Amino acid sequence: MHASLIKPNSGSIRIFGKSLEKNRSEILAKTGSIIEKPDFYKYLSAYKNLEIFARISGANASKKDIYGMLEFVGLQGRERDKVAGFSHGMKQRLGIAQTLLHQPDLIVLDEPTTGLDPQGIIDIRNLILQLRNEHRKTVILSSHNLSEIEIISNRMVIINQGRSVVEGTVSDLLNSEELVVSLEVDQVEKALRILQEEFKDVPKPKIEGHFLELALSRTDVAQYNQALVRNGLSVYSIESKRKLEDYFIKIVNN
Amino acid sequence: MLLKSVYNEFIKIAAKPRSYLGLGAITLLVGVILFALKADGLSFISFVTASFEQTLTFEGNIMNGNLVAFIILQMLIIHIPLLVALVTGDLVSGESASGTIRMLLTKPISRTSLLLSKFLAGAAYTLLIVFWLGFMAVVVGKLLFGSGDMMVLNSDGLVILQQDDIAWRYLGGFAVAFLALLTVSSLSICLSCFSDNSIGPIVATMAIIILFTIIGTLDVRIFDHVRPFLFTTHMAAWRSFFEVPFPEAAIWKSVLILLVHNVVLIGVSIFQFNKKDITA
Repeated sequence: MHASLIKPNSGSIRIFGKSLEKNRSEILAKTGSIIEKPDFYKYLSAYKNLEIFARISGANASKKDIYGMLEFVGLQGRERDKVAGFSHGMKQRLGIAQTLLHQPDLIVLDEPTTGLDPQGIIDIRNLILQLRNEHRKTVILSSHNLSEIEIISNRMVIINQGRSVVEGTVSDLLNSEELVVSLEVDQVEKALRILQEEFKDVPKPKIEGHFLELALSRTDVAQYNQALVRNGLSVYSIESKRKLEDYFIKIVNN
Repeated sequence: MLLKSVYNEFIKIAAKPRSYLGLGAITLLVGVILFALKADGLSFISFVTASFEQTLTFEGNIMNGNLVAFIILQMLIIHIPLLVALVTGDLVSGESASGTIRMLLTKPISRTSLLLSKFLAGAAYTLLIVFWLGFMAVVVGKLLFGSGDMMVLNSDGLVILQQDDIAWRYLGGFAVAFLALLTVSSLSICLSCFSDNSIGPIVATMAIIILFTIIGTLDVRIFDHVRPFLFTTHMAAWRSFFEVPFPEAAIWKSVLILLVHNVVLIGVSIFQFNKKDITA
């Protein structure tokens, strides 16, 4: 809908503070999008495809620019190959190249890692992080892959049944409530005793081997760790077991 | 942006193998007809002129390039719409089927401009087909059979055209034939806007041409009021250029009706394409 492929039943869309309906061309000239999956002309080469999309993007992309972009997404050496022979991951990378040719301020990627193999997912993730960190681009990522969102995104909006349920920075949202923390120590029983002596209201733990699992606040985690070390225990690892999936399920179910 | 998009469409048409089917088919079909007429053209002519031979004597090079071109056009002009629709019927729906239309419309080009660029590219392809047919029929025909006065048999009888009075008739005839085929191109692109698969609009275009042709040839009173407004009725208007006296008013009427068809089809296409949700 942000690319005006589908018209809204009601309401209006504003991007860059302007109405999409009235300023479609101006907004799309500053936006790069991949909707669902990047579809290209299979009978044309990667270079020709980019040339076609660049021409109507308002970009004055030279041959050097296109080659540079293909190199940026890791498709150097495949410029003259027909897209028909490209894997899904290569098409995704070509799709990202196509969104960048006209130097947009906003990039919208819809499920960019769907259907990719593990290496493909890592490649696309690194590309997105590179866009965000090095090229200072704003990337809106729509995904059902929550672990990807957790790794890539600064801010997130959870949409349930068409409505925004929660919005904020990923770290704030994940850390706003108690964490489930797993402490790996050398002596579990002793560790529990020390914690119960030093702190009031230690939550009921779950013990598994050398792991002590407790529901704690962020400040508790640091204090518990200090207390254990101070009393001569070895803390091998502290892992937050609260993930975006858990948070998502909780929010959606509520 | 429109011109850039037209250029894009040219690149796409040029890269598709099916675009060369039309040119290949014309080359092959005209080649077969030229070969057949070269091998046994005189018996073909005597079969046609048999009814006149008791009252008229034919002298000189009757089977010349001008007549050969006319025979070729008459034989092929009804088949060319398929060759045109094969490419133009795929221009919008083919991109819907492959998903590339979605990619195109995320760019800052208006839907109207994108569609008009497809119409212009379709028109250019149609012109190329007509040009190639003209080249194969007239130029190659004259190279093989030489030039001469032209004998045309029509419903009013036999017309003899002087050889220096023929070139403009062919130019006019091809121009009207182009306009008729342009209507086919516009029809197929229009149908293409309603479909998300590439075969449907091509088949539908041919089905409409067949249906309208049947309505046009069926001598039934109920169709009398419809027949003059069907574009298929005017697809043979190119032949009028070879009539004496020259039916100028009838030709202009055909041109007008074909132009109106094009305008209406383009208008309907723009309306449909603009209101369509792109979900494929």
